[in-house]
Amino acid sequence: MNRSQNETYGVSSVSLAVDRYILTAVTILIVFLLVFFMLFPIYKILVMSFFKGGILGLENFTLSNYIKYFGTPRIAKSLYNSLYVSIITMAITTTLAFFLAYALTRTTIRGKGFFYTVAFMPLIAPSIIQALALILLFGRNGLITAHLFKTGWSIYGAWGIIISEVLYCLPHALVILYTTLSAVDSRLDEAAESLGANVLQVFWKVTIPGAKYGLLSAAALTFNLTITDFGNPVVIGGDFNVLATEIYAQVTNLYRFDLGATVSVILLIPSVAVFMFNYYVTRKSFALISGAARPFIRPSKPLRKWGFTAYCIFISASIILVFTTVVMGSFVKVWPYDWSLTLKHYRFPSLGGYSAIWTSLWISILVGFFGAFFTLIAGYIVEKKKPFGVQLLYLLSVMPAAIPGLVLGLGYILAFNRPYYIFYGTPWIIVICVVIANFTLGTLSSISNIKNIDPSIEEAATSLGSTSISTFVRLVFPLAKVAFFQNFVYFFMRSMTTISAVIFLVSATVHLAAIEIIWLDNDGWMASADAMSTCVIGIVLLMLGLLRIVVGKKMGHGMVRATT
Amino acid sequence: MPRNLRLANITKVFGSLVAVNGVSLEIDEGELVCFLGPSGCGKTTILRMITGFETPTSGEIVYDEKVINDIVPQKRDFGIVFQSYALFPNMTVSENISFGLKMRRMPRDRINRRVDEILDLIGLRDWRNNYPAQLSGGQQQRVALGRALAPNPTVLLLDEPLSALDAKIRVRLRGVIKRLQQELGITMVYVTHDQEEALSIADRVVVMEEGVFMQVGTPIEIYKNPQSGFVADFVGISNFLDGIRGNGTVQVKDIQFVVPQAKSLTTDRVTLSIRPEKIEIVNSQRPLHDLEPSNIVSGKIEVFTFLGAVVRMLVGSANGEIIVDMVEKEFEQRQLNRGDEVDMYFPPDAFLVYQKD
Repeated sequence: MNRSQNETYGVSSVSLAVDRYILTAVTILIVFLLVFFMLFPIYKILVMSFFKGGILGLENFTLSNYIKYFGTPRIAKSLYNSLYVSIITMAITTTLAFFLAYALTRTTIRGKGFFYTVAFMPLIAPSIIQALALILLFGRNGLITAHLFKTGWSIYGAWGIIISEVLYCLPHALVILYTTLSAVDSRLDEAAESLGANVLQVFWKVTIPGAKYGLLSAAALTFNLTITDFGNPVVIGGDFNVLATEIYAQVTNLYRFDLGATVSVILLIPSVAVFMFNYYVTRKSFALISGAARPFIRPSKPLRKWGFTAYCIFISASIILVFTTVVMGSFVKVWPYDWSLTLKHYRFPSLGGYSAIWTSLWISILVGFFGAFFTLIAGYIVEKKKPFGVQLLYLLSVMPAAIPGLVLGLGYILAFNRPYYIFYGTPWIIVICVVIANFTLGTLSSISNIKNIDPSIEEAATSLGSTSISTFVRLVFPLAKVAFFQNFVYFFMRSMTTISAVIFLVSATVHLAAIEIIWLDNDGWMASADAMSTCVIGIVLLMLGLLRIVVGKKMGHGMVRATT
Repeated sequence: MPRNLRLANITKVFGSLVAVNGVSLEIDEGELVCFLGPSGCGKTTILRMITGFETPTSGEIVYDEKVINDIVPQKRDFGIVFQSYALFPNMTVSENISFGLKMRRMPRDRINRRVDEILDLIGLRDWRNNYPAQLSGGQQQRVALGRALAPNPTVLLLDEPLSALDAKIRVRLRGVIKRLQQELGITMVYVTHDQEEALSIADRVVVMEEGVFMQVGTPIEIYKNPQSGFVADFVGISNFLDGIRGNGTVQVKDIQFVVPQAKSLTTDRVTLSIRPEKIEIVNSQRPLHDLEPSNIVSGKIEVFTFLGAVVRMLVGSANGEIIVDMVEKEFEQRQLNRGDEVDMYFPPDAFLVYQKD
């Protein structure tokens, strides 16, 4: 073996020269995209709410929008209503999800896989089907209220929203608490028991404190999901107006962009505050998770077992009831009078109809691809490369979670409704908006996946002559492939089901299935709204099945991982 | 002209932590140098600076008379073997080995030939199409070694390469590494916290603590003549006794040991160290007249443990607990047991004397 072969065959100097700048270039590109498509629209909203006519300038500065907001009791009430609904939902969801997570991680009940899967079903549907189902069951003409009990009571209003939101937020809170309880060492509970603590003492003094950051984090997430949700309150809220519906009403019905922007700012305050709180809490919580968590659980006592089984059945039944009600509602002639089956509700009377479903499908595939791609790169840069300005990139990447979709959408109108932004009014603005709106969870899940790649592997590649690009293509991407598809599924699902982020961006030419549901319901075609929801659910399930075949991994699990 | 690797007054600072503090060393071509020290002593930082993953805060790294501080790792042509093997899990054994050759744009047929050579060298020809997860830890580390050697590096850097393996495989692979190094005549820089490993494999050992070199020398020099209490303690096992220096003697509590070499020191407060195998348990049959009577200390065997060929005893005495090693055969012949009163003899020339730190 002679050494001269090193002189003959060397690492390309050109690619090494490119390698010097590629990281900086990509970092700047992503930062630019996030600033332009996230901060710039928010800036436009601030300007619109504080300056007359949305024109920046000292002479235009005004607080009149805020005076008008707080001076009109009906509008001002929306803030109180939003907080009221969000806080109650937060308390109920966190509690329910905690005991569900507890049952799934700390007891030996049977059917855990089933309960777990069912609990995640709400993720595959637009955040409107809970409300649709509740109306079918408990509405003015509801199966249970009007026909079973013949009462005039109906669910419209605050409690309708709260119950819908609880069912909608449950999987999100469950992901966090399930992860927390799996990660916290359950032997601590046993140690406490062996020291003489009774069941309640163990629960309050060991289990709860051990999961406290998870609980706070789940509560914060639930609060934010609820206060920023648009689909459920618009359908079931009735006269009970919340901030999200108020923004929509101001912009769409009254063309008051200034007031819409003002309500947006008021909605941004609690959601950003809670996001910051959550950000702080999650940072701390990593220290609490021990690697020594043990999968073995002692057999639970019969009483405990039956109690938790009954509880899990109750939750699962509620979720299944929501889905079956909506699906049934789409197939019966006249709910709840004529139960004969029909497909007539699938002949959509609205403008979009089936074309909306196809548009949604291909937009969602693009969102899935671009979302997974950009968040993988962002996660890789943040976790492994740590370039100059990495903190800025990280902050910008996680910030979208603090911004309600509706606010982002309104910001897009204000920022990009200019002839020279050629993507405005095309499906591309929807793709961009949905990718940005869900950037946080995509990046976080990429980071946690990329963390699992041994840093030495990259160093080994580097020392063998590999450039950043070739390391990414040959090693990082293959090793993060499953994570990539998980993120693809996550972005795809979000894109198929999101309402708030895109409701301002659909146009006369671009229709989306999830938005059609709102129009159909609004125009009184409730059964067709159910049918459209069923189509969305069907497509998401099909895509999940397809990817499961292609990737050969449990995408059901992937879907859960992606949302952590 | 041999291609030497030189560290010239290297310092590396991370924030407020000085990881490496002004060290210098010349490593000859074809030499195997071991950096030995406890975790956090800076040995891995030195290795990472040689590889190019870290840049020295000050000082120069010189290879073949060229300063290489600012040369990217890809251009250094040094091979690296990691503690975690760091094999590419998505590639087979052959693909792992050929990775560095592909990066160097070597033609396909040359690559195949080289991969075959390497597979023979590491004895894994039959495993070429397996994935790393299908190999044992020892085999994986052999692949890692082969992968690092494939592009014909001029220097091979090994970062605790055997720490993750079982004791037996560790000893065997140690032999493999040493043999490869001698056959290929390659310069190796080897980082470990295992003193036995360092002593058995290295041409020269660098003992490090808190970012500085405590001692540089051949394994025998380091073991037999540690120049500080730290080295004596870290390399092998030693008993330490603190005392006051007299004239050719050291007073330790009630006992005045005869230690002629203590004369060379200037301070009064000193530390004596002595290896456990140097202490004799005095036999009643053995004539005492050739021993230094004041170096005999009586004690009682508190614990003993079998370590294979030797028995290690913990003997309680007025000077504290003393570790004494005895050949197993002798221990058995003399029917020693727990609780026995024994006399320990400390041969004067077996003591090493240091200033008390």
